Amino acid sequence: MISFELNGQTVQVDATPDTPLLWTIRDHLNLKGSKFGCGMGLCGACSMLLDGESTRTCILPVSAVQGRKVTTIEGIGNPDMLSTLQQAWVDASVPQCGYCQSGQLVSATALLSKNNNPSDEEIDNAMSGNICRCGTYPSIKKAIKQAAKDIKSGNGRLQAVSHYDPSNTNNMTQEA
Amino acid sequence: MATLIEKDLIDSKTNISTSRRNFLKNLASGGLVVGLPLTACASAPLPGENKNALQPNALLQITSDNTINFYLPRSEMGQGTYTGLTTIVAEELDVHPSSINVINATAHDDYKNIEYGIQVTGGSNSIRTHFLPLRHLAANTRLVIRQAASQQLKQPLASIQTDDGKIVVNGKALPYGEFADFANQLEFPEDAPLKDKSQFKYMGKNAPRLDGLAKSTGTAEFGMDVDFEGLHRAALKRCPVFGGTVKSLNADDAKKMPGVKSVVQIHNGVAVIADHYYQAKNALPKLKIEWDRPETLSKFSSDSTAADNGKGWFKTALDSDESTNAFEQGDGLDALKLADTVVSGEYWAPYLAHATMEPMNCTAKLDGDKLELWVGSQAPDLAKFAGAYYADVPKDNVTVHSTFLGGGFGRRSATDFVAEAAAIAKASGLPIQLVWSREDDMQFDVYRPAAMAKFKVGLNKEGLIDSWTVKRSGPQIMPYTLDNIVDGVMPSFLPNGMVDWMSKAGYSIFDSLTVDHASVEGLYEDYDAKHKSSDHVTVDPGLPLGYWRSVGHSYSGFFKESMMDEIATLQKQDAVEYRLKHLTSNPKLANTLKVAAKTAGWKQPLPKGHFHGVATHASFSSFASQITEVSVKNGQLHIHKVVCVIDCGLAINPDIVKAQMESGIIYGLTAALYGEITLKDGAVQQSNFHDYPALRINESPEIEVVIIDSDDAPTGVGEPGLPPIAAAISNGIFAATGKRLRSLPLKV
Repeated sequence: MISFELNGQTVQVDATPDTPLLWTIRDHLNLKGSKFGCGMGLCGACSMLLDGESTRTCILPVSAVQGRKVTTIEGIGNPDMLSTLQQAWVDASVPQCGYCQSGQLVSATALLSKNNNPSDEEIDNAMSGNICRCGTYPSIKKAIKQAAKDIKSGNGRLQAVSHYDPSNTNNMTQEA
Repeated sequence: MATLIEKDLIDSKTNISTSRRNFLKNLASGGLVVGLPLTACASAPLPGENKNALQPNALLQITSDNTINFYLPRSEMGQGTYTGLTTIVAEELDVHPSSINVINATAHDDYKNIEYGIQVTGGSNSIRTHFLPLRHLAANTRLVIRQAASQQLKQPLASIQTDDGKIVVNGKALPYGEFADFANQLEFPEDAPLKDKSQFKYMGKNAPRLDGLAKSTGTAEFGMDVDFEGLHRAALKRCPVFGGTVKSLNADDAKKMPGVKSVVQIHNGVAVIADHYYQAKNALPKLKIEWDRPETLSKFSSDSTAADNGKGWFKTALDSDESTNAFEQGDGLDALKLADTVVSGEYWAPYLAHATMEPMNCTAKLDGDKLELWVGSQAPDLAKFAGAYYADVPKDNVTVHSTFLGGGFGRRSATDFVAEAAAIAKASGLPIQLVWSREDDMQFDVYRPAAMAKFKVGLNKEGLIDSWTVKRSGPQIMPYTLDNIVDGVMPSFLPNGMVDWMSKAGYSIFDSLTVDHASVEGLYEDYDAKHKSSDHVTVDPGLPLGYWRSVGHSYSGFFKESMMDEIATLQKQDAVEYRLKHLTSNPKLANTLKVAAKTAGWKQPLPKGHFHGVATHASFSSFASQITEVSVKNGQLHIHKVVCVIDCGLAINPDIVKAQMESGIIYGLTAALYGEITLKDGAVQQSNFHDYPALRINESPEIEVVIIDSDDAPTGVGEPGLPPIAAAISNGIFAATGKRLRSLPLKV
């Protein structure tokens, strides 16, 4: 049994230790917001915050997160409570197909948590691990800058939910 | 549908082979025109049917509890049709677009693409073909609700106004839903007037995408996210060379792996079914399989230097006398003899993979003779036919649940992955979700065909183009899609055996009779020339092909615009001015080019070492010109800026048009700078983003998009932004270095 903190809640899963964190969360814990893109840590669709750092979870064994803090897109905000970045994403119509956007938002959240006034180059550095085949990069830059402005002026929040409400995923602690 | 095909055959003037050719050509060009049905087909029940709701057809429904459902007939894959088509409905219905509940449509005859006769999303035609029919549908719906209100409230029709989904009369505002039941009993009107542009509240205005919230919170459902109690995951091992079959199988070790429930053999490989995906994936390498490999494709290697293999095969065919004419004007090729000067150029573009962010996947559940499919597809009805065929159930017993698509770009108009899922569900008896790995996705794509082309352009004494001739060698897409399509468009009275024969024999029938327009599109149309000819010769190793964003234009934009740049250079003429001299009969394209030159500051001083490159190209009824600003330092290319000017008629949502231009440019830049699928003994060599890279944010240039203000009906935007970009970059590289690059990807 491996135990870690997922979106503010302690969860226990009975997946084998080598199961990638991504599949543990998607298949065992049934949170589908984080995506499978490449399985090699190359595209960033699976990004989650691991102790605040944007991390590729398709190649990270679940055993490596024992006792640590994992935040997925669901732990950043939801349709009723958007983080400032999510709001900026909606306002700027960033998503196209949308498949990579959970990972993009996770990486952008990690960036703004350390730097609330990023330059173009700092945005490039922080976001270059996340591929978008639709080419939403120009909108991503615009949305990050808008959110940074709001965060810097004290009108923003990097996470809109303190913990993920498990009421609609009652198998959060369920083993598969 | 049957009558349309018969009519087409009868209309053919000459002989049977011509009529067959026309039929196939119509398949290729989408000539089977059927009107958007404005009343329900008797043949199939309407989705979400509700007798108390107003439901003029399968697209629109207003329930008595005031839910306005729009069944989205086209697939949302990023291009924005979810927002665009809903905005069109909202405008004439007079309701805010965000108040409409948009539902991804299932497979149903009423959702067929008006131009193709099958339910496919592609060819950048969604907004163009739905613009008027959806407006009429919504305007008539608004009128019948007003009529119902007039009768129920006993007020003259003229006094019944509407505002944002409400009937407004005598200072009261009542939701449409209150009149839905009554309106449903009235005769549905056919001729409600449409709004004038000056009255538009939503069309032509920027507004956030309607799917933006779900896609910014991880709550949008993609095919990969489908889940239910008892669903198993499947991974499939295929022959490394497409078309190979299992010769022998030993699955003993795989069956011992954790979580594995079943191993089954299907038409193209062996599937492992497990509780979880990673368990199925981990067990795949334990399968011991010997393959029977297909002969022709197994011999093909991209790096071969033989005259009948690799690129050499394309070159041999190009230089041979063999060819089929696709287009001729004036004296065609003969006109070259009279030319003062003949300029020629030869270009190459490789095979390409789509690499959508969401790898292919499909969920299939077979219960007796009833099949349910969950899939993000560009062609839900073709998915239905494939499912029926491979699960061996009647077509009418298949239900398709459509999800969002994690990228399409043409890839998801094929149904190979649906066929596999249905076959695995059939063979195993288990509900399964087939998940492709990235490696599967890269190595078993339906690829953008490789192509080689040679232009011979005859100039007159003034240095202007008198004859424009081009020959292209490469494989054709249509034969590969026939198998997919035939089942969907053949009249139902034909016996199954004949449909099977048509589809299986389709390749040879097709290839011997005609040129797939997609093979040559974009090579010859744009510029004025008295004489033109466009020819094609087939070279096909047998790698499966599919539609890839902008299809033939994806390479012809590069070929044609490189050639034009070379001619202008040889004539010592300005690249923009020289193009404009040959765009007299193409005024919209000329205008985008003029605006692009002005916006980019063409011929104005640039920072030291920076150079402009230009390209212009019409596709999918739209017109696009691009000017890049590049520099090359120490052999390294830098793209500083791209200016893109688009004329797509009325821009329904200008922000989405802009996003589609950026998207086409960035997708096209990936192809221009990196994209290349190569084969070794018939097997694709690339496997993931390390050896088939995609442009990243740090490599993405500044892009400025200008949309031409237009009152004309809207045209395509998903694809037209892509074709010019490779040449606009390459022409900039030439300006910077004097080096002319005639092959993709561009190697500086």
